[in-house]
Amino acid sequence: MILLQNARIASENSPTLLESDVLIAEGKIQDMGSKLAIPEGARVIDARGRILMPGMFDAHVHFRAPGFENKETITTGSEAAINGGVTGVVMMPNTRPALDSASAVDAVLENARHRARIPVYTSGCVTKNREGKELAEIEGMRELGVKMLTDDGDTTADPAVLLRAMQYATEFGMFFASHCEVPELAGPRALNEGVMSYRLGIKGSPACAEEIIIDRDIRLARAAGAHVHIQHVSSKLGMETIRWWKSRGDVKVTAEVAPHHLLFTDEHIGDYDTNYKMNPPLRTQADCDALLEGLKEGVFDLIATDHAPHTPFEKAQDFVSAPNGITGLDTALVSLYHHFVEPGKFDWDLVVKRYSAESRRLMGLPVAAIEVGQPADCLLFDTEAETTFTKDFMKSKSQNTPFIDQTLKGRVDMVILGTEVLLER
Amino acid sequence: MARKDLLDIASLHREEIEFLLDQSTSFKKLFTRSVKKIPALEGKSVLMLFYEASTRTHSSFEVAAKRLSAEVTNFNVDHSSITKGESVRETIETLQAMRTDYIVVRHSHSGLPGMIARQTTAAVINAGDGAHEHPTQALLDAFTIKEKFPDPRGKKVLIIGDILHSRVARSTSTLLQKLGVEVAYLGPGSLVPKYVPATIPRFTDYEAAMAWGPDVVYLLRVQLERQDVQFFPSVREYHRVYGITNTRLAEISDRGLYIMHPGPVNRGVELCDAVMDYERSLITNQVENGISVRMAVLDWLTPGGDFPRQESYVAPQRANSTVIMP
Ligand SMILES: [Zn+2]
Repeated sequence: MILLQNARIASENSPTLLESDVLIAEGKIQDMGSKLAIPEGARVIDARGRILMPGMFDAHVHFRAPGFENKETITTGSEAAINGGVTGVVMMPNTRPALDSASAVDAVLENARHRARIPVYTSGCVTKNREGKELAEIEGMRELGVKMLTDDGDTTADPAVLLRAMQYATEFGMFFASHCEVPELAGPRALNEGVMSYRLGIKGSPACAEEIIIDRDIRLARAAGAHVHIQHVSSKLGMETIRWWKSRGDVKVTAEVAPHHLLFTDEHIGDYDTNYKMNPPLRTQADCDALLEGLKEGVFDLIATDHAPHTPFEKAQDFVSAPNGITGLDTALVSLYHHFVEPGKFDWDLVVKRYSAESRRLMGLPVAAIEVGQPADCLLFDTEAETTFTKDFMKSKSQNTPFIDQTLKGRVDMVILGTEVLLER
Repeated sequence: MARKDLLDIASLHREEIEFLLDQSTSFKKLFTRSVKKIPALEGKSVLMLFYEASTRTHSSFEVAAKRLSAEVTNFNVDHSSITKGESVRETIETLQAMRTDYIVVRHSHSGLPGMIARQTTAAVINAGDGAHEHPTQALLDAFTIKEKFPDPRGKKVLIIGDILHSRVARSTSTLLQKLGVEVAYLGPGSLVPKYVPATIPRFTDYEAAMAWGPDVVYLLRVQLERQDVQFFPSVREYHRVYGITNTRLAEISDRGLYIMHPGPVNRGVELCDAVMDYERSLITNQVENGISVRMAVLDWLTPGGDFPRQESYVAPQRANSTVIMP
C-alpha cells in the first residue's frame, strides 16, 4: 500500500496539473483527494512538487531478440524502458529469424513473459523474412495477439504485395505500420541529402525518398480500406502529406514521430558522429520545426522512440560503415521534458496523450490513467532534479545515443505497475 | 601551430596553408640538386595504407617520404574485397601496436582517416577519403597556381565536371577560397548538386562559364568506374557538352588560360588529345609539385602524444556470439 501525498497529476485531458493525494493498493488506484487519511501499514511518500502521470507506452522499439542479443535482450530492453518511465512496448519484427510466423511470435512472447517486468507486445512481418515477396503467416500471428504488421527497417517494395496484404489482414482487424523509403533513392548511408551530405562527402538520402512512400502507402490503405500507421516521420513534406490525407477523412491513417527527429538536425553529425546516424536520417531545422507543429496539431498521433540498440563496436566504426539507429527508451521522457515542456513549447498533457494514451489506443489496449478504480500504472517525475545519462545510468545494453554523458533537467523517480514498484531512485 | 594530422582543408587556417606553401617552395629547390635527400625524417617510419588503388598519389607520397629519409612500408590491402569499417578497426589496432610515425591513408569511406587519427598516435595524412577531402591535392593545386600567379587573390578558377563525387573539387575549392581565389563550378545537373555552397557560382553551360572570365580551367576526372548509376547519357555527349574539344582549346589558347587536371586524364573525355601539348597546360607541373608539397606536409606534422581514444571502443565480439540471457 502506497500513499502519495500532494502529487501533481498529469493527464491527457488538461494542461493543468491537479494536486491530490493518491492511494495505491492491490495494484489499483484506490482513492484520490486532498489530505487522505493514512491507512495502517501504508508507505507514505511526500510527492510534493513532483508529477504523477500514467506510465509511458512506446509503440516502436527494437529489442533485438532473437538473433542479436549482443545488442539488446528483452530483459535489458524492458529495463531501459522502466528506467525511462515506459511501462509497455511494441517490438519490431526485424529480428533473426524475423517474426513472420506464429511460432516465432510465440517464442518471443513466451520469452517476454519470463524475462520482462513490463508487458512486451510485438508486431509481425508483412512478408516472409521481410523480403517483400510472400505474405507472412498473418492469421497465425493474430491469434497470438499481434495487431501491427510491418516490415520495419524496409519498405515493402512491391505495392501489389502490400495491397494484397492489406486486403487480407484488414479482415482480421490488423493494421499496417510503414517504414517509408524508396531504397533506390535513399541509398544506404542514412544522411539527409543537402548541404551537410555534400560537406561530408557522403551520398545523401533525399526527403522525397520518404515522402513518396508515405503517400503511396496511404493511397494503398485507402484502396484496401485498411488502417496504415506511418512510422518515424522525419520530413516537413512528409508531415504535410499526412496532414492532407487526414483532412480528407476517407482513409484511416495514424502516424508517429520520434524525439530525435524533433530535436536534432543533420548539422549535429558534425565530425561523422555515428550517434546521429539513423534512418530516416536527421534532416534540417525547418523539418524539425514542422514536425513539432505536426505533433502539437495532432498530425502525429503518437511519439515513439524507434529504440535501436547497436554495440559500441559497431557504432565506433566510420560513419559509412556504422549501422543506423540510436537508443531512446532510457532518455525519451526526460529529453521531452527538458527540451519541450520545461521551455514551454508544449505541456504535460501532450506528453501523456502522445507518448502514453494514444500509443495504447493504437494497439487496442486500455489507456492508463490516474483515476480511482484504474489499475496502477504510473510514474513519479521530479521536474527540479536532473539526470545525467552516464553509461552506468543506461539500462539498455547499448549506449548508442547522442545523450550520452549529457545532463538534462528532470528525473523519473519512481515507476509503479500493478502491485510492483519497478523503479525507485 | 604543430598538428598531429592532416585530415582536411576545411579546418586549416590561412597561416598554416601559407606556411605549407612556403615550405613546399624550399623543398622544390632541392630537386635541382644532385643529392635530393635530406635527413628530416631520418629514423621515422611512414606507412602507406591504400584501400583504393592509386599509382599516382601513392608513388608521390612514397618519393616524398624517401626524400626526407623516412622508412616507407606498404601495408598490403586486398583491393579485390570490399573493405568495411570493421576490418579497418582491426588494422588500426595492428598499426598502433607497430608504433608507426606516419600513416598515409586512402579509403572510399568519407571520414575514415579521421577515425584512424583518433585511435593511433601516428600522424595521419588523408590521401583521399570517399567524396570528402584530398588535402594534399588541394595544396599542390594551390602551389601550382601560385607559381603562375604569385598573388592569386581575385583570380578565377572554373572547375568542370563531377562535383558530386569529387573530393578534389571540395578540397581544392575550399583552399582556393581561403587564398582569396574565386571558384565556380560547371557540370551536368546530375553531378553538380543544387546545394553546393552558395559562395561558389554554378554555371549550367560552357559559354556562360567562359563569359565569367576564368584564369584557370580545372577539369575533373570523370570517374566512370565509380558510377554505379548513369549520370549522363554517354561519354561522347559528355565530351561535347563539358569537355575541352579542339574548338574550345583554340579559344582557351587565344584567351591565354591555364588548364589543370588532377590526373589520370581520360583522353577524349575531359580533354582532347591536343591539350597534352598545350603550352599552358599545368598537368605535369601538378604531378611534380605533388612531391614537394607532400614533403612539406610530412615535415610539418608531429606524431605522438596522447591520442583521444574513443570512449565507446571495446574489443570486437565474435560475429556469431550471443549472450545468454539471465
Ligand atoms: Zn524501427
